[in-house]
Amino acid sequence: MTTTHSSVTRSSTTSRWERFRDSYLLYSFKRDLIAQFSLAVFILLVGCALLAPWLAPMNPYDLAQIDILASELPPFWVDGSDPTYLMGTDSQGRDLLSTILYGLRVSLIIGFGAVAMQASLGVCFGLLAGYLGGRVDAFLMRMADIQLSFSTLMVAIVVGALFKAIFGGATFSTYAVPLLVLIIGLAEWPQYARTVRASVLAEKGKEYVDAARVMGLSSRRIMFRHILPNTLSPIFVISTVQVANAIISEAALSFLGLGMPETQPSLGSLIKSGFDYIQSGSWWITLIPGLVLVVLVLVINLLGDWLRDVLNPRLYKG
Amino acid sequence: MTIKKTLLASAIGAAMTAAAIAPAVQAETSLSMAYDADPVSLDIHEQLSGGILQLSHMTFDPLVRWNQDLEFEPRLATAWEQVDDTTLRMSLREGVEFHSGNAFTADDVVWTVERLKRSPDFKAIFAPIASATAVDAHTVEFTTKTPYPLLLNLATYIFPLDSQFYTGEDGDGDAKDEIVKNGNSYASRHVSGTGPYEVTERQQGVRVVFERNEDYWDEDSPGNVDEIVMTPISENATRVAALLSGDVDFIAPVPPNDLERIENDDDTHLVTMSGTRIILFHMNQERVEAFQDPQVRQAFAYAINQEGIADRLMKGFATPAAQLSPEGYVGHVDDLAPRYDVERAKQLMADAGYEDGFEITMMAPNNRYVNDAKIAQAVAAMLARINVTVDLKTLPKAQYWGEYDDRAADMMMIGWHADTEDSANLHEYLTACQNLDSGAGQYNAGIYCNPELDDLVAEANLEVDLEKRAEMLQQVEQTLYDEAAFIPLHWQDLAWASAANVDIEPILNVMNFPYLGDLVVEEQ
Repeated sequence: MTTTHSSVTRSSTTSRWERFRDSYLLYSFKRDLIAQFSLAVFILLVGCALLAPWLAPMNPYDLAQIDILASELPPFWVDGSDPTYLMGTDSQGRDLLSTILYGLRVSLIIGFGAVAMQASLGVCFGLLAGYLGGRVDAFLMRMADIQLSFSTLMVAIVVGALFKAIFGGATFSTYAVPLLVLIIGLAEWPQYARTVRASVLAEKGKEYVDAARVMGLSSRRIMFRHILPNTLSPIFVISTVQVANAIISEAALSFLGLGMPETQPSLGSLIKSGFDYIQSGSWWITLIPGLVLVVLVLVINLLGDWLRDVLNPRLYKG
Repeated sequence: MTIKKTLLASAIGAAMTAAAIAPAVQAETSLSMAYDADPVSLDIHEQLSGGILQLSHMTFDPLVRWNQDLEFEPRLATAWEQVDDTTLRMSLREGVEFHSGNAFTADDVVWTVERLKRSPDFKAIFAPIASATAVDAHTVEFTTKTPYPLLLNLATYIFPLDSQFYTGEDGDGDAKDEIVKNGNSYASRHVSGTGPYEVTERQQGVRVVFERNEDYWDEDSPGNVDEIVMTPISENATRVAALLSGDVDFIAPVPPNDLERIENDDDTHLVTMSGTRIILFHMNQERVEAFQDPQVRQAFAYAINQEGIADRLMKGFATPAAQLSPEGYVGHVDDLAPRYDVERAKQLMADAGYEDGFEITMMAPNNRYVNDAKIAQAVAAMLARINVTVDLKTLPKAQYWGEYDDRAADMMMIGWHADTEDSANLHEYLTACQNLDSGAGQYNAGIYCNPELDDLVAEANLEVDLEKRAEMLQQVEQTLYDEAAFIPLHWQDLAWASAANVDIEPILNVMNFPYLGDLVVEEQ
């Protein structure tokens, strides 16, 4: 965090880019090979996912392109493969490479969407609870306690099953992505609320907050414009962990058959569909998407670790 | 999730799985078996299905049953004679007791037949029987409306119920013999038969425990299993893994992609038979107007690649079908072959005015037939080629049959094995006009109705000249094919597997009713 002191000494014409170039963030990044590698892999995966419709040899969500006669073909380095399908095909004849690219996109959308949802809910509740205190605090934190006592997956399963029962499978399939975002988002907001509340309690007693209050600023302005910016670094760190968590939750739900519909496989449902075959020869249907999922979650976690070290002032390594 | 949480979760999961499938130790000889699903009810007249009939053979005894050579073997009936054209007299076994301790008499048989004639699922099969009367305590006479050649075939489906046990009212004031489909009746929770096993514990979807009937009448039965624990495992891979790791001793069905693995394992034993169960899709003409047009139905039939499904998904462990009757049945028409031709299908759709296709819903079970959910997915993909968008839902069979009875989707999957081992039964249940009084068309989810065919089948049932009868039934198959009344997929082959010390071969048959009462487990 730049202090007021240093910004005064700098010329006011320094651009954001120059400030970033001089920052400790970049300095530390340049010296951390693991972080560089993780970021490269992460960008590669995100890039592939975003460009899936152009990169993928076929559209796995278009059932008309699937041929049952091309099912269970192995990847290119195994005997009996078909060069059209680089990574082989699944039990329905979907090209695995294309399905992974599309599935990756779904996983990332759900991961980031759910975290955006968790963060906005959690930050609002955490600020309110910490700043207002009293009954609001007690109520919100007990809510968080109750919710934390259920596991995320259980909440997601119950909500998902209820929705399916009320609106039917057809509606669920149509709105599967936003619904999964909502379900996973709702299930994990207490993580944020807890952290933000703790930071707010620490910040609340500081002079700049008193000063703002004396100036007659509204509580809302103080909370969002003054306190929130000072609690951002833990939020960034949690976010990286939570993105990885949300991706895993989506994969787990899809594996259990409560996530993405079978006709639009995500990484989790792809892993599930290959599960029957893993011991009967066709290992690639489960293994390849499984590896992609592991790599994705791993690089996000490694980036999160690095960010935590950088943003924690007590861990300056010089 | 933190690592700790994950570890804990997997530990709990493992403990639960172990508890669910761990064989009980206290019994002398115990068999733990895993089917893809457990019976949906204990009332054997509630649903006409393979699972219920398998249960019937464990807890009840039929009057006669098929042996492996498809000959009749006396069970509760010891002898039978044809008194005249329409009357069959059967002598019943003496000294047989129900699980409740009540003695088995001719009155129980009469009572059971009357209940069967009330059952929505069974009444169509039992329609030819006009009445059953008790001549004396151990003799019963069946009278048919007209001469009926398949009466003994029907007797394989008469499992006498304990009439005293099911008479009266239960605690809620409902009649104990009430038949409630997919509901909660006294008979669906309590059972008293004469069979080799009694149900001692049942948790729907979790496990059923059977204990050997100490006073079982059949003292010649070689069966030596004291306790059977049945656990439903719907995941194919998990069921196979449970057998290979020794957690269970007997599994069915065996998924086609694991046949080789089980056969190559020295500790397991695999039995396969080519089956006669037809798997098909109905196209509901009431829900979708387009299906009333034979061209659209034909287009659908042309769009489906039966050989692809049998070859890839079933690994050749099924025979591609173009009709209901498998080879060997009188109604089988040799010339009918699967008609896969996408171009032709597109042309037919265009001719019918549906060039741009339409949207339909589809339902299939996911633990009833071999690879049922995967087959449904493949069919959905094939239909996409003629621009038909399918919204597919697959359900466990406990829920599926309720939806099936409601005809809840535009296309629904069903598999059928002819109850009488005869072509007429297939038509009566799957493609006959629906008639709630007679029970005809009870499983006709296509609402296809061609009264001429019904008349032809009724006539065939009275025909004594077998050649003429075959001709008539073949005519029915041909018409169903021409009008594309339904989409046949394949006849599913059968496979069971067991631990090496469980001698399953003698108790298995092509009907897929394992006679578990006669099962021998060798000491290890």
